[in-house]
Amino acid sequence: MREELVALREQALRDIAGAADLTSLELARVAITGRSGGLTRAGEQMRHLSKEERPEIGKLLHEVRTAIASALEARGSVLSAAAEEVELSQIDPTLPGVARTVGSLHPLQHLQRRAVEIFRRMGFALSEGPDIETEWHCFDALNTPPDHPARNEQDTFYLPDGRLLRTHTSSVQIRAMEKEAPPLRIIAPGAAYRRDEVDATHLAQFTQMEGLYVDQGVTLGDLKGTLEFFFRELFGPDTKVRFRPHFFPFTEPSYEIDVRAVALGGGERWLELAGCGMVDPAVFAQINDRRGDQAFDPDKVTGFAFGFGLERLAMILYGVPDIRMFVENDQRFLGQFAS
Amino acid sequence: MKISLEWLKDYVALPQSADALAEALTKGGTEVVGREGRGEIPDKVVVAQILSSGQHPNADRLSVCQVDDGSGQPRQIVCGAKNYQVGDKVPLALPGAVLGPDFKIKSGKLRGVVSDGMMCSAKELTLAEDAEGLLILSADAPVGKLVKELFPPDTVLELEVTPNRPDLLGYRGVAREVAALTEVEANLSPPPMVAEKAAGEVVKLEDAGCPFYTARIIRGVKVGASPSWLADRLTAVGLRPINNVVDVTNYVLLETGQPLHAFDLAKLEQGIVVRRAREGEMLRALDGSEIKLRVHDLVIADAGKAVALAGVTGGAETGVTTGTSDILLESAWFEPSRVRKSSRELGLSTDSSYRFERRVDPSGVLPASARAAELILQTAGGVADTEVLVVGREARNLATINFSHDRCRALLGLEIGNAEIDAIFSRLGLTKTGDQWSVPGFRPDLTREVDLIEEVIRLAGIERVPSRLRGFPAAASVADLRHDNAEKLRERLRAQGFSEARTSHFVSPDALRRAGETPDDALAVRNPLGADQALLRPALLAGLLEALARNLRHGAERVRLFEVGPVFRTAGKEEATALALLCTGAEAGLFELKGGLQAVLGTVKFRPEAGLALRVTGMGIEGLLRRLPRALGEKFAAKSPIYYAEMDIDGWLEAVSAPVRVRALPKFPAVTRDLSLILPKATRYAAVEKALSGAQAPHLFSVGLKDVFADPSGLTLPVEQRSLTVTLTFRDEARTLTSEEVDRAVETLRDHAKAVLGAVFRA
Repeated sequence: MREELVALREQALRDIAGAADLTSLELARVAITGRSGGLTRAGEQMRHLSKEERPEIGKLLHEVRTAIASALEARGSVLSAAAEEVELSQIDPTLPGVARTVGSLHPLQHLQRRAVEIFRRMGFALSEGPDIETEWHCFDALNTPPDHPARNEQDTFYLPDGRLLRTHTSSVQIRAMEKEAPPLRIIAPGAAYRRDEVDATHLAQFTQMEGLYVDQGVTLGDLKGTLEFFFRELFGPDTKVRFRPHFFPFTEPSYEIDVRAVALGGGERWLELAGCGMVDPAVFAQINDRRGDQAFDPDKVTGFAFGFGLERLAMILYGVPDIRMFVENDQRFLGQFAS
Repeated sequence: MKISLEWLKDYVALPQSADALAEALTKGGTEVVGREGRGEIPDKVVVAQILSSGQHPNADRLSVCQVDDGSGQPRQIVCGAKNYQVGDKVPLALPGAVLGPDFKIKSGKLRGVVSDGMMCSAKELTLAEDAEGLLILSADAPVGKLVKELFPPDTVLELEVTPNRPDLLGYRGVAREVAALTEVEANLSPPPMVAEKAAGEVVKLEDAGCPFYTARIIRGVKVGASPSWLADRLTAVGLRPINNVVDVTNYVLLETGQPLHAFDLAKLEQGIVVRRAREGEMLRALDGSEIKLRVHDLVIADAGKAVALAGVTGGAETGVTTGTSDILLESAWFEPSRVRKSSRELGLSTDSSYRFERRVDPSGVLPASARAAELILQTAGGVADTEVLVVGREARNLATINFSHDRCRALLGLEIGNAEIDAIFSRLGLTKTGDQWSVPGFRPDLTREVDLIEEVIRLAGIERVPSRLRGFPAAASVADLRHDNAEKLRERLRAQGFSEARTSHFVSPDALRRAGETPDDALAVRNPLGADQALLRPALLAGLLEALARNLRHGAERVRLFEVGPVFRTAGKEEATALALLCTGAEAGLFELKGGLQAVLGTVKFRPEAGLALRVTGMGIEGLLRRLPRALGEKFAAKSPIYYAEMDIDGWLEAVSAPVRVRALPKFPAVTRDLSLILPKATRYAAVEKALSGAQAPHLFSVGLKDVFADPSGLTLPVEQRSLTVTLTFRDEARTLTSEEVDRAVETLRDHAKAVLGAVFRA
């Protein structure tokens, strides 16, 4: 019995070691530990042994069984790893990934989101007003003289009832001041309309972003600091910002803002990107009249306002050659703003 | 306003370079938006006089001229221009002259005729950007002289003068500004003034649009070509010389900013009346065009007829010509709004109207007249009356302004001393009396303290103001909530593979009809740019269809677009925010879109409507999801069905989402069973779900659709039936369910479905 067991072990270990693949190994396993395998049969013969032989042979049988089991497992891992290697080698990992559809934000939204984030970090809240405005909100309250060219039918869209499509988002300043008292810090992105013939740099409907800050002791230095911060956050720390004196009816002093930055292509050229200024006291006077109080008393509060066109900014920032691309909605264009 | 630096030098010492001047002006608020260098005109370009001109034998468009180039020998030139007369003096490029990098003049034959040089246009000499025909030089230009000596190198700056600064529409004003900005003295000597005399019956003002009119009579002038200094200066800034009297009025307009007009006195019937135009009155303008005047137009008239449109243009009939001997020189002040109205409505903008519209300096009316008289006498001779006729008063309102240095510093956020501020005001020509500052007449824009503060920082420079950055707490507004929700929406749509579109807010009635919508509730624009933009969009569909068409045209097979934006309607809320999704091609389908909307918006409800359409409601949303009619898709050559959803979402945007409350996770496993119900096709899934959920089967937790099967061949299932496989989930909070009790529950559901829906089950 003992000799048989030893021979069985030697034969089994040879067969296991000799199995070339998982199938042969399985055949070997069945031949050894299967229902009629050698080891199974040896186990059955235990009961024919004498009481004296049994402990010794039993112990040996256990050793043989353990040795065979661990040889099976060891050979199995080796063969299985080899099989996986073969399987993997048959896959071409340079095949392209399976396409997953990703949509995109409109480029103007992309830019607007960044702009809103920056102003929010400075404590500006959003504000809204209607696109269809009264002449008072769009012009009178903003200190625009009655015969100012901008009010002309050639420049401004009117509705039959005398209201108009706002020519700038500055009307939202007025809406905000009508409703709320200082301190007031708002930004207002939105559509504006002018009767410009559409070409590569003009749309009759475009997008602006407006800002207003009114409080006690707001200075020109606050205006400078706020807008310098904005443009540096938007275009990078190397950005140069220049305030060039200009004229707007609703601010005084008024400035146009020129920016120079590597992000804007070269950084050699000053690009005119925004208008701004200290709120003209005449605007506060109109608001107080309308409100029937002195919440915006020009002797107590001061403020600054600014505005810029998002299309122009986006054209420069993203290298868009023609403003009409923003309204054509060609997926080949839109899809480039997927990130 | 174009400014020749050679000319400007007459009135003020300029900085070293044109760059430095441009920088100073720009920093002072007058942007230099253009610059033309007039370089040196090449050698071998001389003044020549045309002696004769004849037809070229071989070319209809060419002529053959003999010219005198000062050499004593006539020279033959072939020429294509037509704008000259024999006797005119023109620039002549002699053989060897180099007019450009690859443009050297040579002797040669043109169509078989010898041409010994080239007569030049202003453009060919870089004197003007575009000029038709030959440059006709002044009559007193010496034949044979180098043209470069007539036109020394110059730089012309184009200034963008803001509407609040009419004083910068003349050289003297610009000189004053340059002097103030660069801290030098301007050289602005006043012209010789004469006594004033009430005009009496000679000039009558009948309309408030002209409160101040002056007329000066000069007799015995000899009208002819201007001397070259005058003609050249006008040429340098792009004006064409006409005759000495007209050129002087133009010159003084440019010099002072005060427009002037000279009438031929002999052609005026009995004096001047400034009045409203009469119904149907006509005026032939200086340029020959006929103007039909309206009763609100302000005109200068004589006893019989209108002779000028006030502040805009003179009339041709009474203009100064070579036959004129006596002139009436007008210098007046017209109400800006009246000039603007006439100019704009008649589409007639002139150098004169441009200045009157922006308000000329009333105190400059008489000096400009005096200056023009001085120059007319100098260039055209004649004798001026010893007195100037004056009617009305200078509409001068010299402002005096209270000014606080402290308030100035507070607004600017700049420590700047009183003395420096006062010095700035002095540089600008303001004078101080007590705490008040008096403003000169040429600065009508300065009326309030804040106007003066602006002047302080304009001259001191904003670079000196220290930037200050302060953060503040800001409570979220409704607009913030709307913005954040809209951004959340956009991100979710993006994740669904949709690209954001922004279509025009304008739409045409035709486009609406083509999209199957009605223009009835759309708001109309009174003055649209065109019929295709006549309305404000009441919905997003028409615009998105246009975007779809464009993408299909460019070969896209799969289009997935969304838009979030305003819509405008006559009924209900005038401006609402709409969301629209449009998809066609791969991954497009009614159920894909329906599922997409649920993923994006939350648990909205869908109610079937006629056609393949679902009404979308709930969560503050109101809209429709549908497959667009095939006929509509065909109009855009769409190859696959188009699925579209549009809804008003203001309620959704303004909803504050409730904080999440976590449900306890189940402690015991759920048991699921699939059940296939064979039903008539007409039985809707919604009815099945409702019937099963309402069967009161114990422990039934949820019902979900697993599969829909129909067999068009009728082999496995009758064609009028379909099989719906649902997954039933059973659960108990307190224990693990036994297989037997689940079986019993399923049995209950089968019985109920049989009874309520007539469902059949396969064995």
